[in-house]
Amino acid sequence: MNTKPTSFLVFINGAIEHAEVNDFDDLYLRFSYVIGKDWKICSGLEEGTTQIAHKSVQIGSKIVFNFPLEATFRSTNPFGWPQLVISGYGLDVFGNDIVRGYGTTHIPISPGRHRIRIPLFVPRSSSKFQQLLAWFFGRRPEFIDPKVIAFNAGREMTRVRSHGYIQVVFNVVTKDIEELGYRIESKHPSHTSQQQFDNNETPYVDNYHA
Amino acid sequence: MAEVHVIGQILGASGFPESSLFCKWKVQIGSAWRVLQGDHEGQTQVDEPSDKPMANWCHPIDLHFATRGLQGWPKFHLQVWHQDLYGRNELYSYGFCHIPISPGSHEIDCVTWRPKGSLLEELKTQFIGGSSQLKNPDLVSSSAELYKLRTVSMGKIHLRLHVIVRNFDKYGVEF
Repeated sequence: MNTKPTSFLVFINGAIEHAEVNDFDDLYLRFSYVIGKDWKICSGLEEGTTQIAHKSVQIGSKIVFNFPLEATFRSTNPFGWPQLVISGYGLDVFGNDIVRGYGTTHIPISPGRHRIRIPLFVPRSSSKFQQLLAWFFGRRPEFIDPKVIAFNAGREMTRVRSHGYIQVVFNVVTKDIEELGYRIESKHPSHTSQQQFDNNETPYVDNYHA
Repeated sequence: MAEVHVIGQILGASGFPESSLFCKWKVQIGSAWRVLQGDHEGQTQVDEPSDKPMANWCHPIDLHFATRGLQGWPKFHLQVWHQDLYGRNELYSYGFCHIPISPGSHEIDCVTWRPKGSLLEELKTQFIGGSSQLKNPDLVSSSAELYKLRTVSMGKIHLRLHVIVRNFDKYGVEF
């Protein structure tokens, strides 16, 4: 048992809790993980689809999914840390499947419980004429591969409109990452956390470390 | 050689006079540093939020550095641009922020400013668009040169960065 580990593990579980959007009443999500070339998914679903969820009168603007996430990742190098990529779809009045939004976040790195808000955005048509065509034929612009939003390259070409967000909860545990020489947490707690001062202005993230 | 990983997102920006914003970013490093993996500059998408005053970029950052010293710890140079109805881009503001040194996750709000032109230039900006720019954008993090400028305060850029360090304890560096 005394052999030195050659790779580290990141275990996550959690849930896609709900989406909050104003413009429509039903939504389903597809999710997938984008990982670097040194990474492997050892257990859990690599991609999946949620139920088609609807709003209700009681809950107001929230579309509740409560969809479970669970995965284990193995790697030798933190570069290419897994990202959760979510794309939302829904049916329009004519029954066409249309894109309602894309969003992405890195899986939290520090162990613990994290609640993250992922903003949703849709690509915009590149001209007014195409916007008209899109409205007329029900073919709105979408990404061929939703995974492009997890990369830096090519982002400057896209124009988007953001609306609403998805709330996701992660529980994260890491194994052997310190053994490989990596330090992911500071020993000394930071005294002037900017987040404390600006808490009322930036309500899009809250970490539960209690 | 000690290694540093920076993983996170440029989340977005708030507090700007118009929406429909995008951000050009670049990571500046000292001579002892090297980028091993990842992109160290880029440009985000243009976001025109439909309901909120915050532009969302969700732009992923994943960088792997190697270093021989602490001097020249990497920092972000950020520029916020505005795209108007006709697809013209104008500069809104400059900002810089150091990547936090202590490992762990950090929420960063980077405050920004824009250069203030003469009265005539300000009027021109008001009516025609286009704004004063720096000839050398690297000026934003040079503490010796900034005194020459007159600036106007602008909004904030929000970043979420997680820093991972490796092998610094071999050299006696404590975090």
